[in-house]
Amino acid sequence: MESWENMISFLRWLGKLLKHMTAEPTGALLKPGDPGYQEAHTLTTNLDKNIKIITEIFGLSDDLMVRGMKIGRGKKQVRVAVIYLDPLINHTRLQQGLMHCLQTIDHLPSMGVTTEWLINNALSDGRVIEKKSFVEITDEINRGAACLLIEGLDQALLIRLAEKIGRAVEGPVTENVSKGAHDAFNEDVRTNIALLRKRLHTTRLAVENLQIGELTKTEVKLVYLKGYVIEGLVDEIKSRVRRIRIDGIVDSGQVEELIQDSAFSLFSLLDSTERPDKLAANLLEGKAGLLFDNTPIAIIIPGTLINQIQSPEDYYQRYWFSSWIRVLRWLALLTALLGPSLWIAIITFHQELLPTELLMTILVTREGVPFPGLVEALIMELSLEVLREAGLRLPQTFGQTISIVGAVVLGQAAVSAGLASPGMVIVVALTAIASFVIPTQPLSNTIRILRFPFMVLAASFGLIGIIVGFSILTYHLCSLRSFGIPYLSPLAPLSFGDLKDAFIRAPIWKMLFRPRLIGYREPQRQNPDQRPHPPARKGKKFIRRRKQ
Amino acid sequence: MLDQGRISSVQLFLLLVIAEAATAFLYAPSDVIKMAGRDSWLTSVIPTISGLVVAVVCIALAKRFPQQVFTEYLPQILGKIPGKILAGVYTAVFIHLSSVIMNQSSAFIHVAFLRETPLVALEIIIGLASIYGVYLGIEVIARQNELVWPVWVLSIFIIILLVAESINPDNFRPFLEKGIMPVIKGSALFSSFRGEVFLLLMLYPYLNKKEDVYKSAVYHLLTTAVLLGIITAAIIGVFGELIPVYMVFPIYNLARYISLARFVERIQILIVVMWMFGVIVKLAVFYHSAAIAAANTLGLKNYRLTLLPILAGTIIISRLFYGDHLSLTHFLSHIFPYYGPVVELVIPALVLLIAVILKKGGKS
Repeated sequence: MESWENMISFLRWLGKLLKHMTAEPTGALLKPGDPGYQEAHTLTTNLDKNIKIITEIFGLSDDLMVRGMKIGRGKKQVRVAVIYLDPLINHTRLQQGLMHCLQTIDHLPSMGVTTEWLINNALSDGRVIEKKSFVEITDEINRGAACLLIEGLDQALLIRLAEKIGRAVEGPVTENVSKGAHDAFNEDVRTNIALLRKRLHTTRLAVENLQIGELTKTEVKLVYLKGYVIEGLVDEIKSRVRRIRIDGIVDSGQVEELIQDSAFSLFSLLDSTERPDKLAANLLEGKAGLLFDNTPIAIIIPGTLINQIQSPEDYYQRYWFSSWIRVLRWLALLTALLGPSLWIAIITFHQELLPTELLMTILVTREGVPFPGLVEALIMELSLEVLREAGLRLPQTFGQTISIVGAVVLGQAAVSAGLASPGMVIVVALTAIASFVIPTQPLSNTIRILRFPFMVLAASFGLIGIIVGFSILTYHLCSLRSFGIPYLSPLAPLSFGDLKDAFIRAPIWKMLFRPRLIGYREPQRQNPDQRPHPPARKGKKFIRRRKQ
Repeated sequence: MLDQGRISSVQLFLLLVIAEAATAFLYAPSDVIKMAGRDSWLTSVIPTISGLVVAVVCIALAKRFPQQVFTEYLPQILGKIPGKILAGVYTAVFIHLSSVIMNQSSAFIHVAFLRETPLVALEIIIGLASIYGVYLGIEVIARQNELVWPVWVLSIFIIILLVAESINPDNFRPFLEKGIMPVIKGSALFSSFRGEVFLLLMLYPYLNKKEDVYKSAVYHLLTTAVLLGIITAAIIGVFGELIPVYMVFPIYNLARYISLARFVERIQILIVVMWMFGVIVKLAVFYHSAAIAAANTLGLKNYRLTLLPILAGTIIISRLFYGDHLSLTHFLSHIFPYYGPVVELVIPALVLLIAVILKKGGKS
């Protein structure tokens, strides 16, 4: 019985195989009239037919311009057509780089016009490419190229004349620094690449093109330094990006969510930045970056937690000050995360932790507050969150109203009405300020959310609850990886040499090596003897020499 | 091997220290001082030797099966049924030891503060935090330990530093008044705590550089000896040899003793809290061994399935058998000194002997 079944299944498989082998390629299977028929084909030598097909593909698009003209003089004139999407084209360049050139062609070659001849002799614009298939041609037209069709040729010339649409290079919005460069990425990927290339004048800088979105066809550029980037990282990024099958993406945040390692983590496992200097510095360490068209935010891969607590400014200021700021930032991080929960734990469970006088002061002010600590904290924290969100979307003119409502009504009035204790208001305000110290937005947001479970734990188990929560949090952080790199490195797993760039910032001349797990392909980043010192005095040298 | 994690020799060293010392100095000093009096600080020296013996035996056994944990290769040495039975016994041992640790920590929290929180609730949340780590694997536990270690050691050094001025050197004199015997007796008590280095049997396969295992073990034994010695010495130095005998947790009383500039007072809770980080890791290490042993015994492919039953089991054992504090101290001072060496040294040594005779496993 079994052998029969095997036989039948084998025959079925054989049938499938034969069918598969005799089937025509998919492009040819389409019949005229099917959607996608024309796209799958290549140009004909008939100019009018080509124009007709392209206009049919674009359908009812009002902005598609088709301009026919004749080039050459006398009897040897050749008909050509220029097709472009009107809003995308830079008209000055169209005029100078294409139209004018075509109109001033005096004599055509005796052998007949070829695309090569046109490129070499007629067209002055640099960005000319040659395409044959309708798919590629329409794609280029969509991106702002002008298509030049020539009678009798089955090749089209595409001249990229796209108008730069969007704003000029401006300053960063969220990652402001007082010392350091003030340019930021904007919505044009070519500008972004230019900003990066301006900082890395090396042939090692690789810019690879990836494309995401079936309909949006968003340009995504993968940038890295050849020979420095983590081994295998580039292939992994490419495979993850290519796995994305989606109708379209409009922002880099969507891609971030689609390619990061842990699907459910609260933490953002990839670093994002709008500062070209930060991206350049990260590429120098051995990381890779993704730049997106239409998004001013670049993604840095892999991301680590430590990286999110650092600001590019740390490296531009004196190292003493930067180290101090970093220590301060860690304290602020802990305050933002645990401030309200520690307060709740202390006033509900561990009053003895406070010195007696302080305890008395707090108890007196808490007298008459009708809520337990947790409820009081939740009310204040939630109103703060609402206030923050409200301030974010308001037009700037309303900003002052919000700050008055926040400060006077929620702070002062809540206290004098006896709904909240002054101590709680101070703690909540401190937490809010502390969370602004965290230099990257995603981490700051994560901390904002995590504050609430900690408050509940503190209200039920006091400090032990906080410890348990914190342990679970660090367990989670320890288990995270971003593209193979442990999220908490260099803290856990500990690499001692990299700590000089974690809690503190060592002097630049001390940072001899790249991070161990990231920059291992070219470990050394500078000469070892760079410590600055005044020039040795001539007299001294002279004496030393004489002694020798 | 059910857990695919890899840990470095430094991580192993830190794990062993915390798995041993995190609770050892809670209960042990009071009992040891009862036996050895003012010379108790010496009792951290002799158990180091016994610990070394345990370590050597365990490493010799583990090296014969470098890719397997103890409960995994037991059936290969002893035959299928006896091996499975012994693996089952060790599962029970690990679960039991976990429940003792659980009981110690919850009792400590209960005594120190949180008098009104039910102990079961405390044990559940501490257990949940620990098994979350076990769920994520040994690698994560080891990394967590790297974060926890500085905090945990800091808590001990803060105590020692801040009580240093109250230490009275006269409390240590006369030296060895009653001869060496009381010290040896006290050492016997301590050595069962120090024998917890037998966790090597369950941790060795995860080590990425196997040749460094001796280094980890020896550093671990020395570090623990120094830590425990210093703590015991500090307790005697501050309280003398009489008072600590009546204390439940001398180390806690030591922390309460801290008073700096009349402002840094009553910081014992902070100390307890910092120390709690260590206990959660210690518990995770034992739970991990218990879970792996249970999975091996039952022939499961995924050790994570056993976690919740084990958690429930430990809490039940802890509440049922050590519900009052006396039964716990009775266990620690009267049963553990015999029970410990048997599971830590005697059984592994016998297994090693059988393996050598029957020529099982690779050469060590």
